[in-house]
Amino acid sequence: MPNLIIDDLPIEVPAGTKVIEAAEQLGIIIPRFCYHKALGSVGACRMCAVKFLQGPFKGVQMSCLIDAQDGMVVSTTDEEAVAFRKFIIELLMLNHPHDCPVCDEGGQCLLQDMTVAGGHSLRRYLGRKRTYRDQNLGVFIAHEMNRCIHCYRCSRFYQEFAGYRDLGPTQIANRVYFGRFEDGQLESPFSGNLVDLCPTGVYTDKPARFQGRRWDFERLPSLCIHCSLGCNTIANARYRAVVRVEARFNDAVNGFFICDRGRFGFPYTNQPERPRQARIDGNESSLEDAVAGAGRKLADIAHRAGPNAIACLGSRRSSLETQGLLNHLCQLMQWAEPDYFLDPLLKKKVKSAISQLDSRVAVSLRQVETADFILAVGVDPLGEAPMLALAMRQAQRKEATVAVIDPRPVPLPFSFEHLAVPTWEMNGCLKLLMEEAMRKEDEKSAARDRMAAEEGWLRNNPASAEIRRQIAQLAALFQASRNPVLICGTDIVPEATPAVVGAWARSLLEEKGKCGLFYVLPDANAFGAGLLGAANDHAFLETVGAIERGEVRALIAVESDPFERFPDRSRLEQALAKLELLLVLDYVPSPMVQQAHIFLPTSTLFETGSTFINQEGRIQIAQPVYHGGTPLSQMNGGGHPPRVYAGGLPGGEPKPAWQLLIDLAGALSLAIETGAVENPLSLVASAHPLLAGLKNTSSLLDGVRCLPDVADAEPVPADMDPAVGPGTENELQLLFVDSIFGAEELSQYADVIRQVEGEPCLYMHTQDAERLGLVEGDRVLLTLDAGAIEARVCPSQSMAPGTLVLPRRRKLEWQKAKSFSTRVTPDRIEKLK
Amino acid sequence: MNTKKEFKSPVGGAIVDPAKQSMMLAALYIAQEQNGYLTKEAVQQVAKRLGMTPGDVYSTASFYSLFRMKPVGRYVIQVCEGISCYLNDGAERVADYVSEKLGIKLGETTRDGMFTLETVQCLASCGTAPAMRVNDQLYENLSPAIIDDILERLMGEV
Repeated sequence: MPNLIIDDLPIEVPAGTKVIEAAEQLGIIIPRFCYHKALGSVGACRMCAVKFLQGPFKGVQMSCLIDAQDGMVVSTTDEEAVAFRKFIIELLMLNHPHDCPVCDEGGQCLLQDMTVAGGHSLRRYLGRKRTYRDQNLGVFIAHEMNRCIHCYRCSRFYQEFAGYRDLGPTQIANRVYFGRFEDGQLESPFSGNLVDLCPTGVYTDKPARFQGRRWDFERLPSLCIHCSLGCNTIANARYRAVVRVEARFNDAVNGFFICDRGRFGFPYTNQPERPRQARIDGNESSLEDAVAGAGRKLADIAHRAGPNAIACLGSRRSSLETQGLLNHLCQLMQWAEPDYFLDPLLKKKVKSAISQLDSRVAVSLRQVETADFILAVGVDPLGEAPMLALAMRQAQRKEATVAVIDPRPVPLPFSFEHLAVPTWEMNGCLKLLMEEAMRKEDEKSAARDRMAAEEGWLRNNPASAEIRRQIAQLAALFQASRNPVLICGTDIVPEATPAVVGAWARSLLEEKGKCGLFYVLPDANAFGAGLLGAANDHAFLETVGAIERGEVRALIAVESDPFERFPDRSRLEQALAKLELLLVLDYVPSPMVQQAHIFLPTSTLFETGSTFINQEGRIQIAQPVYHGGTPLSQMNGGGHPPRVYAGGLPGGEPKPAWQLLIDLAGALSLAIETGAVENPLSLVASAHPLLAGLKNTSSLLDGVRCLPDVADAEPVPADMDPAVGPGTENELQLLFVDSIFGAEELSQYADVIRQVEGEPCLYMHTQDAERLGLVEGDRVLLTLDAGAIEARVCPSQSMAPGTLVLPRRRKLEWQKAKSFSTRVTPDRIEKLK
Repeated sequence: MNTKKEFKSPVGGAIVDPAKQSMMLAALYIAQEQNGYLTKEAVQQVAKRLGMTPGDVYSTASFYSLFRMKPVGRYVIQVCEGISCYLNDGAERVADYVSEKLGIKLGETTRDGMFTLETVQCLASCGTAPAMRVNDQLYENLSPAIIDDILERLMGEV
């Protein structure tokens, strides 16, 4: 542990710490352009020069390139170093345009800050500036190469950190150009981070360009709710609209970065179509009247048909406050507990996954980066939780082995071992790997022989020999690993998988002393929904049946759009039409809102500020960023705001959903505990022992994990085999899956996201495609139970044979499938001319 | 584990094979010989053959000044401006002479697409300076008369 002195302050840092980093630990921020904690040092900008007074180095040196060593005495304020940095600024400004006022980075620009701080205000060089031609990098990022100071942060992030290769440095010396081979949308789904990383205005946030300076914004910590990881963000609002979302550093969750879905998916809160006015039977009304009307109708229905005639559908994208209040309301009214899941199977998997987690095994997203062996089961990181792919890549860059058991053509930006087995063989595959990895050395060969003889577990799978070889190889590496992390999805996996993975993680913990467990859950607050949801297997699917039978006459849907995931659209429409009362609370113009008898507008997390629990069990709090209301750009034709004071905020009717539920309870003449209004989480605290800490104050709990010390895990079901078997020889299993753009509920309301989602693809194994006489790019008509859908064929070698994979794109109308799991015969796939 | 499996993804990203990567300069050189410069298609073709992205290949190609990314004339005249040529009757005078005769400036191509004129640092022909190179052919001990000769012969070849 080297001891050194920086600016007269002594500090001890771990060996290998750079001087710039050591200074930062003392609170001394040495100016820098190219150095970034996540990207490391390159010494490209020469800005972090400091003077070494004593020790192994002498004179002005780059603090980002030199490891802290014993006996160093460093001055960051030495005249010579300050002068050096001043000249560097002048040098970098030789070619940089002097037009900060027309640059979108102005006001949040590192180069601008340094130029001012360095006192460079007079230009001495009279030559011409170097100029470049900009490229069109797609809908997310604007490109202005003239502003480049060649720090290489962009290409280091894009290529080294994230693993994509379509943007990088070209040319040489003074002409170095960062761009693509030709104009076009950046391929990386993490491209938005270039905006945060670039120290000048080369890459700016295109949708937010020229919408305001940083000091114009209402700017507060927020959260991303576009998947279950709960990445931390900073939301910027101006003129009653969220303008921009940036990554916020969190060492336990997302680190420095976020994905493009999280960065550009926020416009649902601004959209002109957003329902902001309460409605009764299609007619606009005041919020009070609508709540009172809903209360009367509900009381009437409960009076006539009993409390069981009222069902509630909560949402996994709702805040913990809303979920808790909905649960509480149902309890008070003796209504059935709210459903948070449409599919009972998914509910079982999520509940099982949550029960497996405890503070010994649960690892954060950042800890995944430190693993030396990662096994991911039934998860497509880029589609379901994009930042997970980036975390896995960091582990892989440090030589970790990554193996993925998944039937899908899992695209990851690094090399990994893919065990592409169909869903019904995932457990078998996992079990084999597990047995092999836990086995002592001398038993191994015998076991392999037995494995070769055992043909049963991989049925109809021509790749099984290859997969057995992979498993044997992986098992050896697994055994040698010291810090394995098991990642498990909950979407396409068989019911038992989360429990199998959890049980294995705990036994590995005992054996190795260290093992991480990481689940990917469906939606931002699936953890909360799993904790608060009813203990039984009841799901919305049964509620639909009850509505059809006339048992349920009123449905309260809170921020929930079952049309998004329910596999039978026409059945759902018909069922909803039978309801006496459909009460919908939401902030997006979903089909549910169109069908609602009574609609109550709710506010988004940017307006309310709310609490979410991410898939790791981490409680995180988003601050209210702005007050809501119709964006000014949508009023007066985008002109100047009205000059008269008027009562209330135009379009500001929406209230937090939990607030509306309290109002609704009032309309039903029920008293909600006092204190709930100030701290709605106090009601949640009593709902589950793990949430007891929320009782008094929530603000201290930001970032705390609500996990037990030792999990009271649900056991592995005795019958590990999933209900869905291989089927007959010819049948293909059709999987509906998530994809990064276009299949997530909230982000698809954003124009830019819709522009990049691309054409719907039907992925199939190359040999299945051959059997069906299809080649890449063919268009097919896939006949489902309730009609046909059209998609483009994408054959892939790296997926399970016998499986069809179809992302749940809204434009696909996949809801013609009628059931959650579907198999199709080849004659259902018709090639289009 | 080092897996050789080729990685393809609908959202991009590629794992580069170092053995193929090492062939890039040679491949680019061959590609450049086809048209005298690297066309967009040539870069894409090289990338495809080497399992890399066009961006990777372009990144390398644009780094080296001897790979040309823009069309050139049928004959590329490279006048040496190394120290020996400079002293020995002046490389500038050779360049100026050719420039005047063809009516193009340094770095330009004649309108008929026949000649491109540029200077290079050293052709390793100091003993026979001044020198210039036309495509792969070296011409030494240049004088206005010799240059006239060369250019007329080249024009006549068409």
